[in-house]
Amino acid sequence: MATPDDLRYTQEHEWARADGPRVTIGITDYAQDQLGDVVYVDLPASGTRVEKGQPFGEVESTKSVSDLYAPLTGTIVERNETLESSPELVNADPYGRGWMVVIEAEQPDEVGGLLSATDYQELTGS
Amino acid sequence: MTPTTDSARRSPLDDRHRARGATMTAFAGWDMPLDYGSVVAEHRAVRSACGVFDLSHLGTLRLTGAGAEATAQRALTNDAAALAQGRAHYTLCLEDGGGIVDDLLLYRLPWGLFAVPNAANAAGVQQALERVAAPGTAIADVKADLACLAVQGPGSPAVLAAAGIDVAGMRYLDVRPLGADGVLARSGYTGERGWELFVPAAEAGALWDRVVAAGATPAGLGARDTLRLEMGYPLHGQDISPATSPVEAGLTWAVKPATDFVGRAAVVRALEEGARRRLRGLRVLGRGIPRAHCEVRDDGAPAGETTSGGFSPTLGIGIALAYLDAGVGLDEGVEIVVRGRSLTARVERPPFVDADPRG
Repeated sequence: MATPDDLRYTQEHEWARADGPRVTIGITDYAQDQLGDVVYVDLPASGTRVEKGQPFGEVESTKSVSDLYAPLTGTIVERNETLESSPELVNADPYGRGWMVVIEAEQPDEVGGLLSATDYQELTGS
Repeated sequence: MTPTTDSARRSPLDDRHRARGATMTAFAGWDMPLDYGSVVAEHRAVRSACGVFDLSHLGTLRLTGAGAEATAQRALTNDAAALAQGRAHYTLCLEDGGGIVDDLLLYRLPWGLFAVPNAANAAGVQQALERVAAPGTAIADVKADLACLAVQGPGSPAVLAAAGIDVAGMRYLDVRPLGADGVLARSGYTGERGWELFVPAAEAGALWDRVVAAGATPAGLGARDTLRLEMGYPLHGQDISPATSPVEAGLTWAVKPATDFVGRAAVVRALEEGARRRLRGLRVLGRGIPRAHCEVRDDGAPAGETTSGGFSPTLGIGIALAYLDAGVGLDEGVEIVVRGRSLTARVERPPFVDADPRG
């Protein structure tokens, strides 16, 4: 399973990529592999405020439904509309075209408190 | 997903599955492939080209001797006497009270009858047969010696020909011997043109390799489930069970009351009384995927429960099977309660997709 070094991770298998206060969020390669074929992704509309550790969306696969948890507190400023018609991108390219939302962080330094790639690999045993 | 346990039985093809990186799952005491990476891709391969399944967990019983037909006639609901040489039919094994012990295919071969029950019910069907065995009947569990490969999809005849298996001229539910101890049948659980090959365990690996080399996509039990759900084929243990009757499950076409089978009186009574609930298909209108054991509501009132549900890769929507009160008509709109949310669905008579194993 791929775990890029330049990203931060959560115990709930989201990844975060910070670009100043704008933080792109998705789910990890490990998560998509565990879920199996992703068929629906439910994401909040732009302008929705999300809170660190709280569910903000859902990923549904042929096998099960999983909540998405916000890695940090902030406001959704963008969501990946392509996933509406092509949810399989989450499986095919979890760190690229399968991204889910961009959060404008209220405290951008929260990103630094997330797991490193090494920590996350330890967590998943991968 | 249930983790594999050390006591699980392993298929003769186990090494092939692991070499391909299959996700294995515990199923009826066996350790079988759930998928090889993508249920959806495997499902589509079967609908559009050809897939191969390892079904070595299925029960395999041989009924031989002068009493074999009389035994099947008494233990099973369909008319075994009317089953011609070289043909197969779908049949049910019932309890005295009419509950469904199992559903199975029965094949007539030159040497006798061949029964293929579900893995979890193989022992129960064997006991039901033994309980009513006519004099001169031998009932043998040949599971230890037989593997089963299902080659399914419109491309199956070409794949099988390339693998050295001649299926020319075989109609749906035709069956013939394969080699000295094997069975070749045009049957399956996918709704596509397809064959099931029962072969000695020692020959299964080489046959699997030939079929895969000829272009069949290995497919797991996950795709088998989505394929059968699109056809509305009931799964024993979910949609039918000892707690359901053939009448409410809509399986009376496989029940011949003119024959004196175990459970007959209960079925005749249920036919006369009419079913209080019926197994129906539900097509979700919009997003969301129903699963098993979701409540179904009609105008806000409880009207039934789903017994199977999932995503249809062919349609790109959620579908389900559910027992609904007899008053709920076809084409009606109902609500399925999934994780506290209501999905609108239409009541249908499956199949959900345009597929036909006779085609």
